[in-house]
Amino acid sequence: MQVLFAIVIAGALLGLNAWLYTANKKTPVPEGCENLKPDCTGCGITDCALRKKEEEQSTL
Amino acid sequence: MNLLTLFLSALLINNVILSKFIGMCPFLGVSNKLSSAVGMGLAVIFVIFGASVLSWALYYYALVPLGLEYMKLICFILLIAAFVQFVQMFIKKTSPSLYKSLGIYLPLITTNCAVLYVALDNITQGYTFVETLVNSIAVPAGFMLVLVIFATIRERLAAADVPDAWKGNPIAFVVAAIMAIAFSAFSGLV
Repeated sequence: MQVLFAIVIAGALLGLNAWLYTANKKTPVPEGCENLKPDCTGCGITDCALRKKEEEQSTL
Repeated sequence: MNLLTLFLSALLINNVILSKFIGMCPFLGVSNKLSSAVGMGLAVIFVIFGASVLSWALYYYALVPLGLEYMKLICFILLIAAFVQFVQMFIKKTSPSLYKSLGIYLPLITTNCAVLYVALDNITQGYTFVETLVNSIAVPAGFMLVLVIFATIRERLAAADVPDAWKGNPIAFVVAAIMAIAFSAFSGLV
């Protein structure tokens, strides 16, 4: 029974995560905030999604 | 525990960056400009406070009654990730101005281990709900304090005549070490 509860709780949290991720992606970015730029030049976080986007845009 | 003692301890003495060495990634990464540091600091306070309170409630009202305490790590990670997504979506919909100043930092916070540290620390220390509230404000406030001081110093260092070999991260590490020594003086405060 305890294992079942564990699966239900983990599943619920995973589902919540997936739902919020999709909803967040679908939510339009407010006007004037489309081109917000992270300050990647001095940042040491190399695996950040924002940095990858910034690098892609700069190579285009 | 005295709440003021807890607050001062989490803010200055057991500072999450300079004493625990947690959250070093944004500390070094987002401290080049003061405006970025303030934005990141505010976003961290908001997320840590919300995520810690939710984690505390999840642990004591769901995991403990069901005997699933061993699942706290995975549950907290999922909860923090979901909370950050929710906050980002909420800010997008309700406050474009806030999104402009904080939005860019929110995805970075998901990977900030300080968020998970506070959520786990509240449980392992056995804090009550009120103590959890105080600790969840004090720890990110300490994070922001140190981040802002560090960003101010780095902005001044950019204009300073630093030897080539010390420019960038090396001098930043030296500054961080000196700050850690300075903050250790607070240990006699409480």
